[in-house]
Amino acid sequence: MVPGDDAIWLAQLRRGSAEHCVLALLRHGEKYGFDLARTLTDGAGLIASEGTIYPLLARLRRNGLVATTWRESVEGPPRRYYRLTKAGERALSDFIPQWQQFREAVDKILDEVPSI
Amino acid sequence: MTTRTPAETLVSRYLADLDRALRSLAAPRRRQIMEEISAHIAEGRAELDGDDEAGVRALLDRVGDPELIAEEAGASAEPPRGSDAWVPWLLLVGGFLLVVGWFAGVLLLWTSHAWGLRDKLLGTFVLPGGLLGLVVLGGFPTSVGECSGTSTCVSSGFSLPFPLGIVLLLVALVAPLATAWHLDRIRRRS
Repeated sequence: MVPGDDAIWLAQLRRGSAEHCVLALLRHGEKYGFDLARTLTDGAGLIASEGTIYPLLARLRRNGLVATTWRESVEGPPRRYYRLTKAGERALSDFIPQWQQFREAVDKILDEVPSI
Repeated sequence: MTTRTPAETLVSRYLADLDRALRSLAAPRRRQIMEEISAHIAEGRAELDGDDEAGVRALLDRVGDPELIAEEAGASAEPPRGSDAWVPWLLLVGGFLLVVGWFAGVLLLWTSHAWGLRDKLLGTFVLPGGLLGLVVLGGFPTSVGECSGTSTCVSSGFSLPFPLGIVLLLVALVAPLATAWHLDRIRRRS
């Protein structure tokens, strides 16, 4: 990784955190892919594009962190809803303190840099 | 089927591109992603005003570049080539096809994406010529024409001390077989 190459470091940061953000979004109940994709791209830019949520969700499902259910929707075709599994809840609760620690460490270093 | 609206054409072209980008994935995974993204697009279109072409274009833009989605799904950019299946065989017995068979195998090996550098080096140097080396080492057909009367036609293979000769023959037999087996296993996995 070359510092200064925005696209690369951002892609790596996304890759490292987007999965846990999905887990966090599912903390308060099930959601369907379209909703998750919109939330993660709107403003935050946590995933590269809406479509990339699906391979990510498939990976979480293969790893047993989320489970899915098909449900009828009021308008349109049935939707596949995602929810956290026990393993997903554990992964999320492990992630939260680690992320806070990481964020504090980066912030601390940034604060120490003398102002330019 | 009735004629498609421009918006429908955009969607079906997008899905065809995506399907092509995902071609190196296993069928069930490819199917699942295709289904979900089709549903996603249908969902997005339900929010739009029917066949609003510009709206559909913007929607597909948000769904994103098919290559980007394929990359996230772990699809390799290059699909496996049909000729890859020939490589282990060419390296093994291609030497008997006027020797050029082996060189063709090496060429295909190095231009393929199915193997890494380590496998390519292994395929090239263990052992050059494949099983042809066994024949050369045994001095078997090569010495036939040269034996004209006198006893000076002993080939290099047999002039080696007895146990070393046997070991070399075994290596010349087993090493190319093991390499071909290894390359074939890697190919099937990728």
